[in-house]
Amino acid sequence: MKKVYLMLVLLVGLAVLAACSSGDEEANSGSGSEGSSGTDSITAWAWDPAFNIAALEKAKEAYDGDVEVKIIENAQDDIIQKLNTGLSSGTTKGMPNIVLIEDYRAQSFLQAYPDAFHPLTDVINSDDFADYKIATTSFDGEQYGLPFDSGVAGLYVRTDYLEEAGYTPEDLTDITWDEYIEIGKKVKEATGKNMLTLDPNDLGQIRMMIQTNGSWYVDEDGSTPNLEGNESLAKAFETYKKMMDADIGKIVSDWSQFVGAFNSGDVASVPTGNWITPSIKQAEDQSGKWAVVPMPRLDMEGAVNASNLGGSSWYVLNVDGKEEAADFMLQTFGSNADLYQTLVKDIGALGTYSAAAEGDAYAVEDEFFGGQQLLTDLSTWTDEIPGVNYGLHTYAIEDILVTGMQDYLNGTELATVLENVQSQAEAQLK
Amino acid sequence: MKNLKRIFIYTFLSLAALVSIFPFLWMLVSITNKSVDVTQGRLIPGTHLIENMKTLFATVDIVPALANSAIIAVITTVLTLLLASLAGYGFEIHRSKGKDIVFNILLLSMMIPFAAIMVPLYRMFGSISDTAPLIGIDSLGAVILPTATTAFFIFFFRQNTKMFPKDLVEAGRIDGLSEIGVFFRIYMPTMKTTYAAAAIITFMNSWNNYLWPLVILQSPEKRTIPLLISNLGSSYSPDYGVIMSAIVIATLPTALVFFLMQKHFVAGMMGSVKG
Repeated sequence: MKKVYLMLVLLVGLAVLAACSSGDEEANSGSGSEGSSGTDSITAWAWDPAFNIAALEKAKEAYDGDVEVKIIENAQDDIIQKLNTGLSSGTTKGMPNIVLIEDYRAQSFLQAYPDAFHPLTDVINSDDFADYKIATTSFDGEQYGLPFDSGVAGLYVRTDYLEEAGYTPEDLTDITWDEYIEIGKKVKEATGKNMLTLDPNDLGQIRMMIQTNGSWYVDEDGSTPNLEGNESLAKAFETYKKMMDADIGKIVSDWSQFVGAFNSGDVASVPTGNWITPSIKQAEDQSGKWAVVPMPRLDMEGAVNASNLGGSSWYVLNVDGKEEAADFMLQTFGSNADLYQTLVKDIGALGTYSAAAEGDAYAVEDEFFGGQQLLTDLSTWTDEIPGVNYGLHTYAIEDILVTGMQDYLNGTELATVLENVQSQAEAQLK
Repeated sequence: MKNLKRIFIYTFLSLAALVSIFPFLWMLVSITNKSVDVTQGRLIPGTHLIENMKTLFATVDIVPALANSAIIAVITTVLTLLLASLAGYGFEIHRSKGKDIVFNILLLSMMIPFAAIMVPLYRMFGSISDTAPLIGIDSLGAVILPTATTAFFIFFFRQNTKMFPKDLVEAGRIDGLSEIGVFFRIYMPTMKTTYAAAAIITFMNSWNNYLWPLVILQSPEKRTIPLLISNLGSSYSPDYGVIMSAIVIATLPTALVFFLMQKHFVAGMMGSVKG
């Protein structure tokens, strides 16, 4: 009888081993080249199949080298989690050669893992890219990131709603946020539609506002919170409250509601990054009813009608195969103007490589936006975006600001609110 | 009067049932609608079901992901049941002072959140990747091992073993069974419901496990279902109809396992051996 049990235990053990090893065979065929040899293939991580992944595929097609490029799609939050775990564990096992990082987060990665990234200072020419991208992608005098997509923001407007209220897109061109609110009230009166969506948990709106005046949540050094006494931020808070008081904002609480609001025609304008274009176009029945005008500016001296929301850049990790990865980057996103033509034409991905904007693909007239040369306009605005150092703590500070904003909307004095968030931020980010 | 009371109770219960079942209803309705309709909160079934399924199967490798999840969940469940019940049995039947100390240390380990041990774990698996690729980074083995048994299930089995009549062990020994024989031939059949309850919980935990597979698995062909769904939602213009379809498919196996073993599950949670 004993033998039977012994056999049983052995069998289970064997089954487990067999299952593990079959999984491993896949590993060898799938990604056997990672790490060890490193020279015959490189891996790249990015998110969004329709945008960044598609751009990588195009780059791979344009690339003329011996190294095989493996493109792996991961959600953005997943990439952050994986990078943080991998890099802080100190092993380079399983890490990719190339990774896409959002500009707001780049500085904190560069500071937390200084040896993990491979500098591209001698590989690319930083003058070739939009100025505002350089501050966020470099660290300690070295250029680490290869600037990729532009987060240039625009004010997407519904021309039919505006017309009903007696406005044309020209009336919204180069205006201040205060003027925007006045127009918003009229539009709501005439059409019953809200002017924009507001998400109290996502202060992208505030970020876009303060960047029009070259200001950010932190000082130039990238780490000292700059909230109390930040006039641009105070102005942005006031403007936000004015929008709430004027009742021109539709409150949304997540991305799907945000997209749903303009897809269903509930709002007359969408101030956001240009990457929203595909989502706007999703509502095919609204073709010809949209136009894009420059972002409103803060009503302050020095503010411009150009801002940014999001955007990301490529980074090469300091692991085996970094030279090959850097070379791939240089040959494609780093110098190939034709590639950028393909990117705008086929994907609608707007790069920040300055030479690319000259090409024909940028001049195309978009029927969805009433024949507007949207890409040309967007690249013109890209050059005007004030460069700011996003620093290390954008999202950490924003979490504090979200509660501050609630207090302010509930009637607390602005000065008190900003004083509170400043001390909270200082305490938390020490 | 009695009828009135009954009507009230039924209305209340129906409302409560509706509230708890609503997310599922919405999920089921959404798989028949276009993404635009989903974002607009449409609650009427549409005609887009086949398109959504087609897009899903055309754009993502959902079948390999299901297979990976199934392999991991089944092996984890078998290992957990075997190891945790052996340990729980040992702790309860063969008692000694030393074992109680070990058991208390085990319980303490339940207090440490997984996120805290994730980085050291990753490092450990990284360091054995070259010598033992079967269980190195980016292998299914590495997903299974850290969850192959947990302090909770050892505790769970020990607690349930408290109700196991120890006379049966004595009787088995007298009749000439070995210690292993007692475990497999007497303990296991008697504790069937405990095993069923533990199996459901382990299977569900493993099937829904996200964080550890996320960091340890790198190749797309090894992705599990939760990772695949997370990916689907990553784009700037997500297709909610397709995402919902994937979620429905991912929910089916756990729902099935639960319904098949529901009877045992309740009994197992209440304690296995009656009387």
